[in-house]
Amino acid sequence: MSVPPMTAPVPSDVPPPSSSGKGAKLLKRLGWAPEGETLKQTQLFLLLAAIIGLFSGLSVVLFRIAIDWTKLLAFGSALVPPWTRSLMVPTIGGLVVGYLVIRFFPRVRGSGVNQTKAAVYIFDGYIPFDTVIGKFITCACAIGTGQSLGPEDPSLQMGAGIASALGRRLRLSREKVRLIAPVGAAAGLAAAFNAPISAVIFVIEEVIGNWSAGVLGAIVLSAVASVVVSRWFLGDQPLFRIPAYHLVHPAELLAYAALGVMGGVSSLAFVKVIAYARPRLKALPHWTQYIQPAVAGLLIGVIGIWFPQVMGAGYGYIDQAMHDQFTWQILALLAAFKILSTSLSFVSGTPGGMFAPTLFIGAMLGGAVGGIEHHFFPWLTGGVGAYALVGMGTLFAGFLRVPLTSVFMVLEVSGNYSIILPVMISNTIAYLISRQYQPTPLFDLLSRQDGMDLPSMEERREEATLHVEDAMRAYQGVVLNSDDPILVALTRAEASTEIFVLVKDGPESWHGIKKDELRRWAPHMRQADPLHDLLPAMTLPCLHPDQPLDEALRRLGEWPLLPVVSRADLGRLEGVVSLPDVLQAYRAAG
Amino acid sequence: MEPERQCPQCRRKIPWGQTECPFCPGQGGYFWTLRRDTFLLMIFVFLILLFVVTGFTVRMYQAVEKGFGQEWYTRGEADLSAGRAEAALADFRTALSYSHDNAQYQLRLAQALVAVGNSGEARAEARTYLLNLLEHEPGNATVNLELARLAAADHAVPDALRFYHGAIYGEWDADPMVRRRAARLELVEFLLDAGQKDSARAELIDLAADLPADPALQTQVGTLLMRVQGYDDALKLFRQALVEEPRSPAALAGAGECHFQKGDYAQAERYLARAVQQDPHLTQAAAMRDTAQAVLNLDPFNRRLGNLERARRAVQDLNSALTRLESCAAQKGIDLKAAGNDPLQALYAQATQLQPHAQQQYLSRDSELLSQVMDVAFGMEQATAHACGEPQGTDLALLLLAREQGGTRP
Repeated sequence: MSVPPMTAPVPSDVPPPSSSGKGAKLLKRLGWAPEGETLKQTQLFLLLAAIIGLFSGLSVVLFRIAIDWTKLLAFGSALVPPWTRSLMVPTIGGLVVGYLVIRFFPRVRGSGVNQTKAAVYIFDGYIPFDTVIGKFITCACAIGTGQSLGPEDPSLQMGAGIASALGRRLRLSREKVRLIAPVGAAAGLAAAFNAPISAVIFVIEEVIGNWSAGVLGAIVLSAVASVVVSRWFLGDQPLFRIPAYHLVHPAELLAYAALGVMGGVSSLAFVKVIAYARPRLKALPHWTQYIQPAVAGLLIGVIGIWFPQVMGAGYGYIDQAMHDQFTWQILALLAAFKILSTSLSFVSGTPGGMFAPTLFIGAMLGGAVGGIEHHFFPWLTGGVGAYALVGMGTLFAGFLRVPLTSVFMVLEVSGNYSIILPVMISNTIAYLISRQYQPTPLFDLLSRQDGMDLPSMEERREEATLHVEDAMRAYQGVVLNSDDPILVALTRAEASTEIFVLVKDGPESWHGIKKDELRRWAPHMRQADPLHDLLPAMTLPCLHPDQPLDEALRRLGEWPLLPVVSRADLGRLEGVVSLPDVLQAYRAAG
Repeated sequence: MEPERQCPQCRRKIPWGQTECPFCPGQGGYFWTLRRDTFLLMIFVFLILLFVVTGFTVRMYQAVEKGFGQEWYTRGEADLSAGRAEAALADFRTALSYSHDNAQYQLRLAQALVAVGNSGEARAEARTYLLNLLEHEPGNATVNLELARLAAADHAVPDALRFYHGAIYGEWDADPMVRRRAARLELVEFLLDAGQKDSARAELIDLAADLPADPALQTQVGTLLMRVQGYDDALKLFRQALVEEPRSPAALAGAGECHFQKGDYAQAERYLARAVQQDPHLTQAAAMRDTAQAVLNLDPFNRRLGNLERARRAVQDLNSALTRLESCAAQKGIDLKAAGNDPLQALYAQATQLQPHAQQQYLSRDSELLSQVMDVAFGMEQATAHACGEPQGTDLALLLLAREQGGTRP
């Protein structure tokens, strides 16, 4: 599928209908429509961001209740269900989810992150509202019946879907509709995670890809609104009770570096399993897709007989791991089985998120590594809980490949700044290992398996940006003065090899004139007339060496070349840039 | 994948799965006909409705969770009462999973873990729950007490002291005075076990200051005070107990022992005799009474004695001490008649040198000689106690007299 250019001609937006009704009067009275008849797009966008945040928060609260209630109904109230239920519930749940997905909600497969990206980059921000409903129902059923998936990514997609529906109905411009989906995504994720900063950073890091001031305010506003709603109903307790942590000796950072290596290797294994199995299962006959979630559920149920912790999101068990309630052997087994069960759930096409399983695996792996290290090096002061906490961030960085989010997520969840050094070291190592041996990040891999070429945020971040200095060359001609008599100017210009001659007009102002024009007009002027009389009214736009090269492209316009001047002294010429120079620089960069 | 189609009106792509452009008005449906402002107002109304629905749903679910929590908690209590501690643990854990912040559930789970788990993991888990509770309620005396017990089990004296004091000065739900006393008594026991007698004594003195008129309690604290050599304070308590309950054998025995330890053997003998009279099974009190009687009968320095009796006792004491010396030397293989550096040999030489003069008729007239004889007798008892261990009967009485620096010399 080809990606349409983002700068395609935009049809004139549908004009907002004139409003003279009671609603408009009320809005005006509230100060939301201070100028003109109706709300301006920018104001409406911000108002809408807050509304989206509220709706997303409410829907996520209901979603979480739906998951928990489904679990309660399906497995009963005992902490460890009987083995018959462990086997039957995920299997039957898988059958129901498979049927619903194939017959009614085909767009809800997968985690939801790529679908949101596709909406932004391919479908002009369009996410059908039935996706929101489908995601809600199928994910609640899947996670509630024990599939090893989490509620965060679906919440992200639900938020984006709500935002898209509202944006479209309020007839926002195409650009705004495209931007409103990430706003909803941040709101959904923030409410599900109870962590607004991480949600905002994730959306910027993985969905939008840049810090656009135009949308940042709206994203933050919606994330805050949704978290407020979520905390109002579900309480402001963090997802986990975080153990106290203090780094006593810098040598202990080596222990966290070892965790980073283990995290990187585990992330790699996790991605490779999904990358290998997913296309193969998708290639099976269509009818098998009805039963794939059920088969995955059955296998997870078998694991769940011995390790019920792997079923569902597993936040409670992460909390237990942080408080030394498992031995390191059990923690290691839980990490391994969770990788297996999450892979099974995800590749079978069951809708659900990867965030919670990633955190689970990270916490268990971190706890196991911490336990082993404590066994051999009892002088280490960091508790197993601290390793579990760092492990969560490590897997986030290595598996989801969102290094910035991973650091902020741990900081936000723990509320402990002391943990930052271990987190940064461990995350960076895991990220580098994962990137070295799996060049394509998970989300990009999934989108490519689905036949879409969504922009890779990681690749985009790492693209070498060309600057003006990369295309700049030395100016070969003479610099004329606007006070020079025309004859003198012509004589000097004739000696120049450049066809376009730069003219300095005052200390900071630059003009330019083609030699041909000078030759053509000089005979019509008096010899003593200053060159200034011949110059066009418009001054030359100047560039600086550190500016991006596309800035030069934008400014070149009809000018044959532009002066590149020093930022410290706008009258000092550093070089010049012409269109062939720019194109040559792009060609050279490949 | 469906081929891409473009909306003829707005020229945007029509997403797959859609028959008409979702961006353009006139697609049918009531909402598309509304003005933007009206639609916004409708959104607000819908938002309020959704708030109500969400609130109702959350409350309903929380009520269900609370119900399950209570059900499992009750089951846990039943299992605990029936001695099924492991099952109770699982029940409390399940109850807690439905009500994560329920302090009562956390406390019961921690208590069950302490009761059941001998392992370090169980204690660590219990400590985690308790510390979590303490973080929210630092003044909770029950939580402090449980933490103190855990620290005591781990022999962590400073932590145990801190948490016991938290329990003593913390808030109790019911019977605060009784529970505070019980916590302090537990702390005293812990301190005594840890060999911290001074701290234990300080706690006991604090405790004694606030004791109600309860003979049993006064006797209990008095007995503990005796363990830290607080005989004066203990005696006060035993006397207070005897005011309320004059025939209390324990209080009588305690008072007798206090007097005994203070060297007041006459009083000791009286209290101990009454104690044994009340309860003939008090063998230790009976033995002490006998010793006190022996001390009184052997003491030659009693002011009420006549010179002859005083002399008779001195002769008897010297002979007893000499017999004890000979027996101890035989036990140790020391030849008393040989010259040597052993203190027993030196004492024996002194005694045999003095023996011809230690006659009743001389001693009754020469108090200086009597003192000299008794000094040698006491010296022999102390030396043999050092060499051969604590004696019994008459020798013990003589040793006690010796420790009293010669008894009540005139």
